[in-house]
Amino acid sequence: MDFTANYDMFLTEEHQMLRRTVRDFAEKEVAPHIREWDRSGAVMDGPETRPHIWQVLKRMGELGLLGICLPTRLGGAGMDYLALAVVCEELERVDSFLRVVMSVHTALNSLTLFQWGTEEQQQKYLIPQAKGEKIAAYCLTEPNCGTDAGAMLATARRDGDYYILNGEKTWISLADIADNFLVFAKTDPSKGNRGISCFIVERTMPGFSSHPIHGKLGVRAGNTGSVILEDVRVPVANRVGEEGEGFKIAMTALDNGRYTVAAGATGLIQASLEASIRYAKERYTFGVPLAEHQLVKRMISHMVRKLDTSRLLVYRAGWMKNQGRRNTRETTLAKWHATVSSFEAADDAIQIHGAYGYSDEYPVERYLRNARGAIIYEGTRELQELLQADFALGLRENRPLRRELPAYNPDEWA
Amino acid sequence: MHIVVCMKQVPRDNSVKINADLTINADGIEQIMNLFDEYAVEEALQWNEKLGGKVTVLSIGPEDWKEQIRRALAMGATDSLLLSDPAFTKLDTLGAARVAAAAIKKLGDVDLVLCGRNSTDDETGAFAPALARLLGWVQLTYVGKIATLESGKIVAERHLEEVVETVEASLPAVVTVVKGINEPRYPSLLRIRKVAKVEIPTWSAADLGLSAADLTPALNLVNRVPPPPRPKGEIIEGASAAEKVARLVDKLIEAQVI
Repeated sequence: MDFTANYDMFLTEEHQMLRRTVRDFAEKEVAPHIREWDRSGAVMDGPETRPHIWQVLKRMGELGLLGICLPTRLGGAGMDYLALAVVCEELERVDSFLRVVMSVHTALNSLTLFQWGTEEQQQKYLIPQAKGEKIAAYCLTEPNCGTDAGAMLATARRDGDYYILNGEKTWISLADIADNFLVFAKTDPSKGNRGISCFIVERTMPGFSSHPIHGKLGVRAGNTGSVILEDVRVPVANRVGEEGEGFKIAMTALDNGRYTVAAGATGLIQASLEASIRYAKERYTFGVPLAEHQLVKRMISHMVRKLDTSRLLVYRAGWMKNQGRRNTRETTLAKWHATVSSFEAADDAIQIHGAYGYSDEYPVERYLRNARGAIIYEGTRELQELLQADFALGLRENRPLRRELPAYNPDEWA
Repeated sequence: MHIVVCMKQVPRDNSVKINADLTINADGIEQIMNLFDEYAVEEALQWNEKLGGKVTVLSIGPEDWKEQIRRALAMGATDSLLLSDPAFTKLDTLGAARVAAAAIKKLGDVDLVLCGRNSTDDETGAFAPALARLLGWVQLTYVGKIATLESGKIVAERHLEEVVETVEASLPAVVTVVKGINEPRYPSLLRIRKVAKVEIPTWSAADLGLSAADLTPALNLVNRVPPPPRPKGEIIEGASAAEKVARLVDKLIEAQVI
């Protein structure tokens, strides 16, 4: 059955055509190679040299996926924020490394420039990124701080028309691939969150270097690494927002990043469910297909529940983005629910596959490994839980921002 | 140059059910563009990029079968045409060819018709030849390469099982293409937005001047059943691999396979 049917309250015929196109791309150009690419990440050593990463990014750029929800005047495809969710679902249905590109390049970096960037920054950086000519990443986490961003050690010292950046960022997706980076560093180290500012850093700037992280549990087909900044001179024109506004910018970026993670996790649930349905119908035990055993049915039905609830939460958040409404609560809820559900769904999918599911002869063990990271990155499960409680208890509210993410405008964006 | 592509919407897989009245029940199965027709669309688009003119994608089906037409438009087709009428629901292949031929005649300025070599649902492979016959045009089937296409002339390779034939013909012509003639493109995201609201012209039997007699099937479906399940395999026993192989060879000779 078609698990994407009957979402007409959110999706149009455009979204359906988009879904078909992205699915065709992922199934034709990635799925046949993904086991090999995933294995390559388990054994790689030294610098990132795997050509498939560059090839896939190039194809995603050519197809227009990298600027999917940006206006055409900024080099995008002029589609809405729900289209971004559809793309993420379909990409992660095949492999998480594809969706990670949408999270860091499109959501965390490009949408942040769309929301906070100056006209000059949008012309210089956003347009080539939307067209896929330049690849972008996002650098917040450091070796000693993840969720506790206020504890970061990276610094940006003003020197005339420049800032001098020093520090180390880690767990950076596309660290060795991207051309442009949004880097968060302290312009006032005496302050916590309020001392953070945001900068556009180019790989070609002297003092910039990167190296990959080896031995990851999941997302092995993609590149993750560390970024080192040693006296990197960044023009003042490359500061995004005001001095000290970096933390707010980082958090709004995460409102978009988490949305893509949630949508991707929904795609991963669907992949687990589809693999399980296929296997449960063809594998016989005790003289009947697996699908006729009640406890297998239970696992299938729970996957369906998790799939539909995740998708509805994601589309609600996307609908709010289209309206220009703040969606921190709704997006974090979607991210929490969908990522936790995706891990559980992949786990059940392995159970249904039995011992076959434990090897990479079937894709479900890869789904499980890929799902695990998203319960940590872009806001841990625990952080999302606290946020929900604080919103419910009235301890937290969305304060107005100096710049909001623009609402979708079909005429202006076309 | 005006190229018409005849495109059929088909179920994605063959796990269809058969209704009591012998019609096909494809409920719940995703509808896609017939695989071979996708190559025909791509071929038309590539020649259109070189020669200019129009590419009209033409399909026969109910009013709501517009998704695949829009897909072809998003790939780059310039025009579309849906032939739809309650009287078209029980067409056989000849009837479908009559409907398409009437539409192509009505369009008037068509130089070339491209079709997939067959549809993946009915698999008759007879639509395009019937269409060519009804139009009185030359037909080039199983084309794996169009080498030349210019005013009034086509040179193409027919990729047959044992040989590749190069044939030349004058236009207008009907051509069926095989898999591998090109690599079909994905719809462009910018075009997806543009074509989502495009009005698709629809012609009925009356618009085409077709009578009930024209649409009466020449072929009557007598029965339709799923093929019998594949017989169970046999495991050949033996003390050693050599003995098993010897027994297998005996059986294959007995079955006149070797």
